Amino acid sequence: MQYIAPHSLDEAYRALEASDARCLAGGQSLMAMMNLGLVAPSSLVSLRNITSLRGIGVTADGGMRIGAMTTHAELAALDVAAAGPALLAAAARVVAYPAVRQWGTIGGSTAHADPSADYPVALVAVDAIVEIGSAAGLRRVPAREFFRGFFETALREREIVTAIHVPPGPKHGGAVYQKLSPVAGDFAIVAVAAIAGLRVSLAVGGYGPIPLLVSGIEITDDALLAAGQSLANATVPPGDHRASSAYRRRVLPELIRRAGRAAADRRLG
Amino acid sequence: MNDAEPAIGASPPRLEAGDKATGRAQYADDIQVPGMLHAAILTSPHAHARIVGYRTDAARAMVGVKAIVTGADLAGPRSGGIIKDESMLARGKVRYVGEPVAAVAATDATIASAALAAIEVDYVPLTPVLSIDEALAPGAPLLHEEYAAYAKGIEGTGHDNVVWEAAIAEGDVEHAFAQCDVVVEGTFDTQAQHHAYLETNGCVADVDAAGKITLHVTCQSVHHVQQRVAEELCEPMSRIRAIATRVGGAFGGKHATNIHSIAAWLARAARRPVKLVLSRMQDFEIQRSRHPARIWMKTGARRDGTILARDVRIVIDGGAYADESPPVLTFALLMARGPYRIPHVRARGQAVYTNKLRAGSFRGFGNPQATFAGESQFDDLATQLGMDPVALRLANAMVPGDLAFGGQPVPSCVARECLLRVRDAQRDAAPLPPRFGRRRGVGYASMSHVSGLMGTAATVQLRADGSVALLTGCVDIGQGSDTVMVQICADALSLPMGRVSYARQDSDASPYNWKTAGSRSTYMTGRAVAVATIEMREKMFAHAAELMECAAVDLELRPGGVVGVRGVPDLAVTFKEIALRSLFKAGGPLAATHGFVFDGPGFDPKRASLRQLAFANLGVYTFGAHCVEVDVDDATGEVEVRRAWCAHDVGRAINPVSCEGQIQGGFVQGMGYALTEAMQWNEQGWLVTATFADYKIPGVLDSPPEIHPIILEDPDPTHPVGAKGIGEPSLVGAAPAIANAIRHATGARVRMLPMTPERVLAAIDEHR
Amino acid sequence: MKLHSVLTVNDEAREVLAPSAASLLDVLRDSLALTGTKRGCNHGVCGACTVLLDGRVARSCLTLAADVGARPVTTIEGVAGVDAYSRVQRALIDTGAIQCGFCTPGFVMAITDLLARNPRPGREAIREALSGQLCRCSGYIKIVEAVQRLAGGTHE
Repeated sequence: MQYIAPHSLDEAYRALEASDARCLAGGQSLMAMMNLGLVAPSSLVSLRNITSLRGIGVTADGGMRIGAMTTHAELAALDVAAAGPALLAAAARVVAYPAVRQWGTIGGSTAHADPSADYPVALVAVDAIVEIGSAAGLRRVPAREFFRGFFETALREREIVTAIHVPPGPKHGGAVYQKLSPVAGDFAIVAVAAIAGLRVSLAVGGYGPIPLLVSGIEITDDALLAAGQSLANATVPPGDHRASSAYRRRVLPELIRRAGRAAADRRLG
Repeated sequence: MNDAEPAIGASPPRLEAGDKATGRAQYADDIQVPGMLHAAILTSPHAHARIVGYRTDAARAMVGVKAIVTGADLAGPRSGGIIKDESMLARGKVRYVGEPVAAVAATDATIASAALAAIEVDYVPLTPVLSIDEALAPGAPLLHEEYAAYAKGIEGTGHDNVVWEAAIAEGDVEHAFAQCDVVVEGTFDTQAQHHAYLETNGCVADVDAAGKITLHVTCQSVHHVQQRVAEELCEPMSRIRAIATRVGGAFGGKHATNIHSIAAWLARAARRPVKLVLSRMQDFEIQRSRHPARIWMKTGARRDGTILARDVRIVIDGGAYADESPPVLTFALLMARGPYRIPHVRARGQAVYTNKLRAGSFRGFGNPQATFAGESQFDDLATQLGMDPVALRLANAMVPGDLAFGGQPVPSCVARECLLRVRDAQRDAAPLPPRFGRRRGVGYASMSHVSGLMGTAATVQLRADGSVALLTGCVDIGQGSDTVMVQICADALSLPMGRVSYARQDSDASPYNWKTAGSRSTYMTGRAVAVATIEMREKMFAHAAELMECAAVDLELRPGGVVGVRGVPDLAVTFKEIALRSLFKAGGPLAATHGFVFDGPGFDPKRASLRQLAFANLGVYTFGAHCVEVDVDDATGEVEVRRAWCAHDVGRAINPVSCEGQIQGGFVQGMGYALTEAMQWNEQGWLVTATFADYKIPGVLDSPPEIHPIILEDPDPTHPVGAKGIGEPSLVGAAPAIANAIRHATGARVRMLPMTPERVLAAIDEHR
Repeated sequence: MKLHSVLTVNDEAREVLAPSAASLLDVLRDSLALTGTKRGCNHGVCGACTVLLDGRVARSCLTLAADVGARPVTTIEGVAGVDAYSRVQRALIDTGAIQCGFCTPGFVMAITDLLARNPRPGREAIREALSGQLCRCSGYIKIVEAVQRLAGGTHE
């Protein structure tokens, strides 16, 4: 296996021209897969030395541009008022374990698109934009279109996630990320990312290959439960060794009610 | 550290704790031997299939491949436990996905893997049976067509896919149920739990020029490994040596196993050392699990709460090979009455073969299954009687002098005291503030267990400077037995612990010990150590009497290695002087050995009807009780264990901190059994939970921040120090206590383990 | 394909020739004979492989050795410096928190990292910091107690 450590994005794009080349970001997902024999790339392109992939900046609208190599720990430590970034920080805090948060990155997690992971759900809820770079330049894809299936995204060959743009979310809004998992730090059976302004938008994870979005729910118990029930009725979530499809449907309305209420409680003013 | 006072009842730090804390401790995978080859195992992709051919030429021709073995190379008799139904590699047939079929030793791991990929095995798939029901269905495919022809240590009554059948009965249950005012009945199902020790199974097999094999092995008994490997390789035991490495957890999952024999075989064939350490996935797929079980139980009582009768049927799923199914079944039946004086009890059971990895020994050994059913049903009975569950237990608890189920006298019994201690501790504790939206429940479980069994020995030798060397065959699997043995020896000689050396277990040099298992080490090997040390003391006194020209009866031991004359402070000799006399003047090197096989009373066939039990007598009874507080989210079924109190009678706490650690660790392992752990297979018999990502053991955030161990000491009269055992009981009570707490919180009874949020919610919904 | 590199491990420059796909765990154990760091699962869940990378906890089985570069690595062998034991090791020994010991090096590294950032953590902070380290023997109680002792009390 070839290992390349470019110092610029241009170098990285060139390195990705090798066949079966993969990017190495934090390694917390990729290395596990390699150790289990699930992938064996012929070439690994480390993004570690590309400084333009790092850094968090506040944008003019009060949102954030988060460099792809930003770690979960860096995001988790953010103390932000704006609901969009706050939701991302909340998700970052419950990813796996401390050592994984120390080195795992938002870019890596987004590109990996594990349907049980936390970031995709949060990104869909906040309506984030995924910034993608290649030798041809930059393009942007809304998170709501970026995640296509099991470990499948809108990324094309030789493209790299360069940043995530997070809108500020509703003014004075509140946001929470809640996950139901068998043990702490595990992948979620069901996860709900909720962002509340006058109404609630939320994304649900664990309900299929990509997060499901429900927007514009009124902030009352009845409306939230009904939205959950509708979604549960309309979809057939997967059944696996963690939980059956029936259980995922059974718990969703209450999980949505709780997440919606909790997000609303965090609104300011 | 080694200068601590040798008091039994003190808690000196473990002898090897420094090595473990600094990374110096050597576990199997840490061992490197010059010229070492790497082994890899090819496993079966079929749950049930005939093997009709192997092609290994391409693999043998690869550069770096030094030895290959397949089932076709095995010609000796089958091996196994009571039933000799297996070999180190599949022969003629594969019976589970993951069964070792072939193995390779090569100069590095990459070549070994490539060689495996080049081995071709031809299979004719057969229909598998993957559950108890499938195994018992009329006309089910048979796993062991030649069962009748297998050599057996005890003649069994197995037939079709039934490995073993057994029964214990006392009194007349049918008549007794007719006298009962209240009868409850229920069926309970428990799952395959994995030991999930942090260190996987593995060994390094070294070979000398004459072909003698030495295994450096993480195991629970060097003697058992030696015996099993010798059997598989058709060698005398004098040509197989097993030396224990440090062991990174075992819990029953590191008894002698195929991989030890495979490594030894490859080393012998290649005439080079071979390392074989399982990956985590392979360890999940190849080794052993706890027996899944289905327990049907019926219990009846009079209106006043006197329990008259219990009827139990237990079926355990033994997987592909018999292994320890007969004794596990027997023990489950023995424990089915619980620590109660129920006069009419019938317990019948079967162990069945299925096409999954074999189930074997695992902390509790059938008792967790039986007690989950019994203690859950106990609370249901209390509800039907309108009685408090603790009061009902107290009213029926065994007392000293009672007979256990099957007739063994139990002179020492603190069942009631354990229950009262946890009840009072919970009541006295400051209440925990409730969690918003959660329902709080408190649950209890009582349990008994047995410590003892089989044979062991210990040897004490005096060194030239008055230090002492202690040798036993008892492998410390992390529970602290090394330290306890030295404490016992040092205490009996009034020596500081630093003056007692303790040898690593080596089948060529250590006295025999059956296994570190069955909560038996402190009772059995500790007893041998105590008696041997006392004998050593007598021999030293004989020399001292000569040296000081007095009678041995006038002598006394003084701290620090001195023997003096009672009442004469100035007259004394040192251990060193005694040693030198023995080595150079008279008598010869001083040594004392004590060995015994468990000699307590067993079953009483005049009292109980006993059929096909896999052991005759067992050990000493111990008792315990748990009290658990849980919070249940009745919208999701999630259960959080907030606090636990675990009272256990250990006879005598030689190292109280170690006892506490065993209690706390056993409770959390039992909590995993109760709530989150389950090995699961798909319809083709593939294990889908073969990593820690899918098989979830509790982490610190899943475990209660308070687990209060309460140690009771009711000394056993047959042990010089009074000790019993503690290794297993603390796991046994966790699941039923949690189940009872869930019921207390929600009214819902969950009868299947693990009690996942889904199952708990389903039970709550049913109860609503 | 083998790569030649120089790693800084426990303040020493160590030359390594290892496959390019090797993890830091592989290199530590197989190339540098530093076997104190353990392989419990090799897929990033158990934490037995925990080291400090650039002063922070890292799972060495999930760290590509080739990607370490000049960042210093501290393993269990380097934690005590010139003393026999660090205070973390001493506390675990004295509290009776060590049973089979296989998880212990990983816990030592995680606790060392915690106390370097937060010298007086409360019980919840301790449990949170240790949430990625599995132990099958102890039930975690005495491990947390050991850290509470080091933190100077048992405040919540």
